[in-house]
Amino acid sequence: MIPTTTTPPTAGPRTSYLDVPPRPAGRWKPWAALAVVVLLTAATLGPWAIGFDADAIARNWRNGADRILKLLSPDWSFFPRTVEPMLETLQMAVVATVVGAAVSLPVSLWAARPTNPNVWTRGAVRCALNVVRAVPELLYVAVLVAMVGVGALPGVIALVLFNTGIIVKMVSETVDGSDRGPLEAGRAAGGTQSQINRTIALPDMLPSFVNQTLYVLELNVRASAVLGLVGAGGLGLLVDAVRTYYRYDQLSLIILEILVAVLVIDLVSSIVRRRLV
Amino acid sequence: MTVAPQQVTSRSWPVRVRDVTVRYPGGVTALDGVTLDIEAGEMVSIVGLSGSGKSTLVRTINGLVPVTSGSVVVGEHTLSTLSGRQARAVRGSIGMIFQGFNLAKRTTVLNNVLVGRLAHTPTWRTLLGAYTAADKQIAFEALDRVGILEKTWHRASALSGGQQQRVAIARALTQEPRIVLADEPVASLDPPSAHAVMGDLRRINTELGITVLTNLHLLDLAREYGTRMIGLRAGKVVYDGPAATASDAVFEEIYGRSIRQQDVLGG
Repeated sequence: MIPTTTTPPTAGPRTSYLDVPPRPAGRWKPWAALAVVVLLTAATLGPWAIGFDADAIARNWRNGADRILKLLSPDWSFFPRTVEPMLETLQMAVVATVVGAAVSLPVSLWAARPTNPNVWTRGAVRCALNVVRAVPELLYVAVLVAMVGVGALPGVIALVLFNTGIIVKMVSETVDGSDRGPLEAGRAAGGTQSQINRTIALPDMLPSFVNQTLYVLELNVRASAVLGLVGAGGLGLLVDAVRTYYRYDQLSLIILEILVAVLVIDLVSSIVRRRLV
Repeated sequence: MTVAPQQVTSRSWPVRVRDVTVRYPGGVTALDGVTLDIEAGEMVSIVGLSGSGKSTLVRTINGLVPVTSGSVVVGEHTLSTLSGRQARAVRGSIGMIFQGFNLAKRTTVLNNVLVGRLAHTPTWRTLLGAYTAADKQIAFEALDRVGILEKTWHRASALSGGQQQRVAIARALTQEPRIVLADEPVASLDPPSAHAVMGDLRRINTELGITVLTNLHLLDLAREYGTRMIGLRAGKVVYDGPAATASDAVFEEIYGRSIRQQDVLGG
């Protein structure tokens, strides 16, 4: 390196001497967007809209307070009866996560532009995924129960669809935003798109993939508790039963158990993430 | 590790570029009627400012950028007439080195170098990650040639810039290439690493007899490491002659302005 001597810049702010370019127009746009949101909210609160009135809270506060008291005193003796449904819920969550992740891995690559340059197949994959994501998992279960019967199976299938929708969306967006340079190197070396995806795109997308997979595992524990309400087995069936008998003390124990399960999964996944990513 | 040069020289390819024009969809004309003959085993520096068409030129030679008109012949293959499969096979014989190294950063050096075997490997083997012992041997030899065999099992991202570029060179060598293209290979490197990488490219040319084309914008590197120099300006060839004797006046003609401090690497 050749050392160069440069004259130090003159000190002090001298803005008035600087030819600062004019600030670009269009600063009002975010404010306009905010105004639209505020107006829409105001419109939905009007008397012609869905009609929720905050009065109901005041009118029924005695009922509500009673329920809250019961929720605050869990019925610990109910624990043995929750063990088996809890295990079933965890099983459903794990199986659905594994299957969903396995399906999502190749589909994520097919849904992202750098790893699938073909407009038509990419469009088809994305379109199918939009449909999958648009249907709520409760609706999947409701339909699937009619097709394959009550139990864990419709729940698992619904969760797999739900998981695939989430993982593919998040991971393929990460791939979309990734550096194209390494993929170009694979192309320059004469690889097919599948070869390039396997050797170059896959290692770089793995952290995002692992993150999303751990996240849906957590979602699944919570979701499978709800899916039981419409016949998908696990804790949800039990929730439905105790709710029907107004056993809020038992319900609160179930909620506590779900909380513990979610916390444990969160702990485990943060450990895994630290080691893998 | 040394291979008799003449034995390999016969394997390297010439490049024939005939009246090539490349116009991008946006309407930018990157190359404008370029005609070049590069013989097998030549060491060529392609010089020009950014935007002069250097990057486009090397990418037309391996078919990454299709020509709008004209023809490119590498070895005996006319690029525009090839099917997808044939084009991949030809690209498999042309190594490429990039300014940004373009490694898969989260995987090992070895896995990156084995990318050089893709064109010679059935897809199912790649998908399973089941590389043959012979392919791995080629990869180890390439890493040894650029002096970073001991980094084989390291993550690519753990290496310095100069080392990453050497991995990229090893990846190109693992292709057992007939031509090596380098697009501003040292623009992201400090001067000592830059000279090391340019030295590696020169050895590929002199020891293996492979045709090497290197895009550069630094005139001292172009003079030192090329035997022939091609100057591009606004997509046209404005100089084609020996590199060592190209005077500052020649560079001023290519750049269309006077020589400045930043046109020299030094070191």
